[in-house]
Amino acid sequence: MKISGSYLLPVPQARAYDLLQDPMVLAKAMPGCDTLDRIGDKEYHMKMKMVMASISGLFDGKVRIADPQPHSSFRLIVEGSGKIGFMKGDGLLTLTTVEGGTNVSYDGSVEVGGTIAAVGQRLLDSTSRMIIKRFFEKLTAEAAASGTAAPAANI
Amino acid sequence: MIPQEFDYSAPTTLKEALQLIADGERKVMAGGMSLVPLMKLRLAAPGHVVDIGRVSDLNHITESGGVVHIGATATHHDLETSPVIRGRCPLLAEAASHIGDTQVRNMGTIGGSIAHADPAADYPASLVALEARIRLVSAKSDRTVAASEFFLDPFTTAVETGEMVLEILVNSEEPSEGYRYEKVAHPASGFAVVGVAARIKKTAGKISLARIGVTGLAPRAFRATAAEKLLESGGDIAKAAAAVGEGQEANSDLYASADYRRHLARVWAARAMTVALSRAS
Amino acid sequence: MATTVKPETLVGKKIRRREDPRLITGTATYVDDVKMPGMHHACLVRSTHAAARIKSVNVKPALERPGVVAVFTGEDVKDVGSVPCVAHLPGLRMPHHHVLAQDRVYYVGHPIAVVVATDRYIAADAADAVEVDYDVLPAVADPEKALAPGAAPVHPQWPDNVAFTFHQEGGNIEQAFRDADVVVKQRITSQRLIPMAMETRGVVADWRAAEKSLTLYTSSQAPHLVRSLLANIFGIAENRLRVIAPEVGGGFGSKIDLYAEDMLMAFVSQRINKPVKWIESRRENFLGTIHGRGHVDYYELAAKRDGTMLGLKLKIIQDLGAYLQLLTPAIPTLSVLMMPGLYKFKHISADIVGAFTNCFPTDAYRGAGRPEATHGIERMVDILAAELKMDPAELRLKNFPATDEFPYATPTGLAYDSGNYALPLHTAMDAVDYTALRAEQQQARKNGKLMGIGMSTYGEICAMGPSPATPTGGWESATVKIEPSGKVTVLTGASPHGQGEETTFAQIAADELGVDIDDVVVLHGDTLLVQYGIGTFGSRGTAIGGAALYYALQELKEKIKRFGAMLLEADQVSLVGGNCLDERSGKSVSFAQIASAAYRAMKLPPNTEPGLVSTHFWEPPNFTFPFGSHIVITDVDPDTGQISIRRYVAVDDCGKIINPLLVAGQVHGGVAQGLGQALWEHAVYDDNGQLVSGELTDYAVPRAHMMPWIEASHTVTPSPVNPLGVKGVGEAGTIGCTPAVVNSVVDALSHLGVRHIDMPLTPEKIWKLVQGAR
Repeated sequence: MKISGSYLLPVPQARAYDLLQDPMVLAKAMPGCDTLDRIGDKEYHMKMKMVMASISGLFDGKVRIADPQPHSSFRLIVEGSGKIGFMKGDGLLTLTTVEGGTNVSYDGSVEVGGTIAAVGQRLLDSTSRMIIKRFFEKLTAEAAASGTAAPAANI
Repeated sequence: MIPQEFDYSAPTTLKEALQLIADGERKVMAGGMSLVPLMKLRLAAPGHVVDIGRVSDLNHITESGGVVHIGATATHHDLETSPVIRGRCPLLAEAASHIGDTQVRNMGTIGGSIAHADPAADYPASLVALEARIRLVSAKSDRTVAASEFFLDPFTTAVETGEMVLEILVNSEEPSEGYRYEKVAHPASGFAVVGVAARIKKTAGKISLARIGVTGLAPRAFRATAAEKLLESGGDIAKAAAAVGEGQEANSDLYASADYRRHLARVWAARAMTVALSRAS
Repeated sequence: MATTVKPETLVGKKIRRREDPRLITGTATYVDDVKMPGMHHACLVRSTHAAARIKSVNVKPALERPGVVAVFTGEDVKDVGSVPCVAHLPGLRMPHHHVLAQDRVYYVGHPIAVVVATDRYIAADAADAVEVDYDVLPAVADPEKALAPGAAPVHPQWPDNVAFTFHQEGGNIEQAFRDADVVVKQRITSQRLIPMAMETRGVVADWRAAEKSLTLYTSSQAPHLVRSLLANIFGIAENRLRVIAPEVGGGFGSKIDLYAEDMLMAFVSQRINKPVKWIESRRENFLGTIHGRGHVDYYELAAKRDGTMLGLKLKIIQDLGAYLQLLTPAIPTLSVLMMPGLYKFKHISADIVGAFTNCFPTDAYRGAGRPEATHGIERMVDILAAELKMDPAELRLKNFPATDEFPYATPTGLAYDSGNYALPLHTAMDAVDYTALRAEQQQARKNGKLMGIGMSTYGEICAMGPSPATPTGGWESATVKIEPSGKVTVLTGASPHGQGEETTFAQIAADELGVDIDDVVVLHGDTLLVQYGIGTFGSRGTAIGGAALYYALQELKEKIKRFGAMLLEADQVSLVGGNCLDERSGKSVSFAQIASAAYRAMKLPPNTEPGLVSTHFWEPPNFTFPFGSHIVITDVDPDTGQISIRRYVAVDDCGKIINPLLVAGQVHGGVAQGLGQALWEHAVYDDNGQLVSGELTDYAVPRAHMMPWIEASHTVTPSPVNPLGVKGVGEAGTIGCTPAVVNSVVDALSHLGVRHIDMPLTPEKIWKLVQGAR
């Protein structure tokens, strides 16, 4: 399933880019993320618990950042699998400076498999958008909370 | 289709129920029409289910002081057939009659349905159009939330940890008010591809109040306020209907793309408004 | 002496189904109702990926759970053998179909491990605990994409994804196209469908080591076939192997096959030395029971300007799935046989390409190849009519063989047995007042309304079939026993699972013997009880099984008369009303008296053995060819694309009718499934091979409230192929329905320039076409 959209982060572009690459920030912003451990260059092992009302599932997966073009774009690849199936999101995030901060537009695809694919297609679109929305909302909160602190190095 | 092993409690008093769910580790179940299928698919695997179906006096449907009180465990069938609902907020009875099939309506409850918050469920369109309030209680709190602030996102509501839906409060409608719930049912699931609830009041031959609730179109049920304003300011139905869904991100799935859904919402909004207007006196 | 009153004939009467009381009171015994001492339960671990290498399977977390007795994986079953396919085509590539995946999975739902536990809940939880590590590979889920260069190979050894190609020609196709004034072409698809029997599959296997015997309860349409295949696979002698198909809650073709799970349970029971049960969940039924259809067809029809049809070219791309189930590759060859429909084409050319995809295999689903062909030709005829600006009924009537041309030889090599193809069409047209409808349609269009009139005139191949033409064998068997009390027991080799042959066969036996229908019991579905038989599929139960019964009854009647003549001391007696009557003396003896004499055997007629039993195996000389015409009137909402069926008229000719109630039921059920395909159902695999319409929340099976009123009637053209004159009706509704519905909706939109719409006709598709035309 193709997915695209954009979100306004109220921070300057360079700061937005750094936040989006900071594993500490990503760990807090990714909905349901329990742990995020570095396993390679721009590659992390992630455990997450997705909860939506009655539906819940533990996912074990990876987060990877690819094709980084500092301060302007990069690819974010998130994949996870668990008992209820697997999911993979692969999106190109493009940053541009706009009034009030940075516009982050995303363009990519979401793949799911297993039970969630078989019974959840009716809801895949709306729930994917909700997860992305939550991610950016948390990111905005993190940006505000972290103030001007330097992002973690060596990522 | 076998759920994971779970513990089960069936309290008979509200106090007991609220104590059981206080720490948020246990899952509330009423009719089980949403939860049980998810558990059988193993998409939901609660360790402990608290069945509030046996809590006494939780399925009341009463009217006092111009307000209709609907207990959380009132079934869809109860709503569909209740003289109070049919007399005082018939829109809700009409919506209830569209839910699932007879078996589901006999088991499923209004509290369970709204707490589950499926973005294509039938009730939310009517509840936002009726400006209903949802009363939430926990062992420590008792508060009321407007329907429009209750439904937040797909499967996400304002219910906090330890809380459960106690009752739904709806102001009694005047008999002169016109109403209609129209729905395009998905041929497999029966869920609303789109569902539109309309209320129209007339004063001196003119529309004095319009409330339009929409479900299925967007991630959550919403009131089509632009359309309402157009109706209330003398705009015709076609113009008002064309404004339904403005600014909303439309859902899409195998059965209906976002564009088609948006179009359906407008067509059926017009049809719902037409019937509601014809019923208003 | 008994009185001799000739009872009324039961054949042709609306007799209520004798099966129904146990079904509607919930007392029938399905596989899941079978319980045995010491019975264990199995649950399968299935692949979540369509194509992947299995890096590891960790069964330890499952084995550690209390109550789990064993977990088997691919390694354990690598020598069990292949899930069988009995269809043979030249050059067919047959992948070895292990009962559990070996080092690779080929479709979502591919079984990887089986967990065996003391109860079904423990088994399900333990199956969840098995950890499978995959190395995901690219998958291909669309047959045309699978055949495109560079497609991911389903089976690495066959990188082109071609399982077979098949060519058939009749007449001189090149000449036909040279002679043509008009050629119309169309790509027509017949989407993948889920057969959706109400009862999912299930197996109980009970291995008795001391006796070296295996009993297998399985929800099957063909228990003897299952026994033969299992005997061969496991090396268990057939006389130590008993297969029981208890109550079977529908099959629609999906339960002819021997499945991996049947073999797996037989294997597990032998390994644990205990009975073991596996019941398919609905999710598994979507993923792991055969699918139907899956055609992409390219048609070219050559005709003269006056409407005379000359030649038909067809290229079928058949989506086979990842493996070949029992009859998978044979199904599209039935489409080829059926491709000319009821029309006098002299020249045909057909090509099939069977494509492997990372999906579950397709196989026989109600109609099996004939609905696809009928949909194709009936759409092409309408497209030709539009091209020629001819009325579609007139075009059809012009191209039917005349009634004196039967048996009618088709260019595909068939001989249609008997027919009067214009009659059902005229009957249906009269029922709807066709001329008035066309006038109404003109008026409706002027008012901006979309109204469609669609018809199909279908034929089909039933009574599968002569043995040389049928991979499973084509005969059927029957045994009739008169019990010592005079009651009648019929054992049929057919295996009814909803067709109602416990009723229709009792009608036939009661009429032939002149006994009360309540004195007849029809038994089936147990290989220990019933003589060898083939099974129930391809509308063969009554047309072949009924004929076998008829002949067995004739043989038995001769013996009964010999006993009757002996008791009456007459030269000749006749069978009347359950008695033997000496017409000269007016004396008679009852069945009970005859049966008593035959078993007591104090005295025997000359050259006659004791007992009253006869068995007949009947090989049919030809298929039968039912036909009919369906007319569907639709109204299309131009604002939403929603289709509503105003009238549905079905005039079917299935030869002689044994029981009109059951025939009506078959037509109604068939039409329901046809409507399902035409309007709602689609098994959708996404590009990664995930079955995204994988539950009843997305896959729209018609429900009662979605059904139109069906005005069903019949014309009767007896078949000369069998002594009952019956043709078969199990699949007719499904076959006649889809083109009539699609023709109707295309007709509603034809003035907007619409020529074809692929199924299912979802409202959004229709809305977009209407929008496009605006």
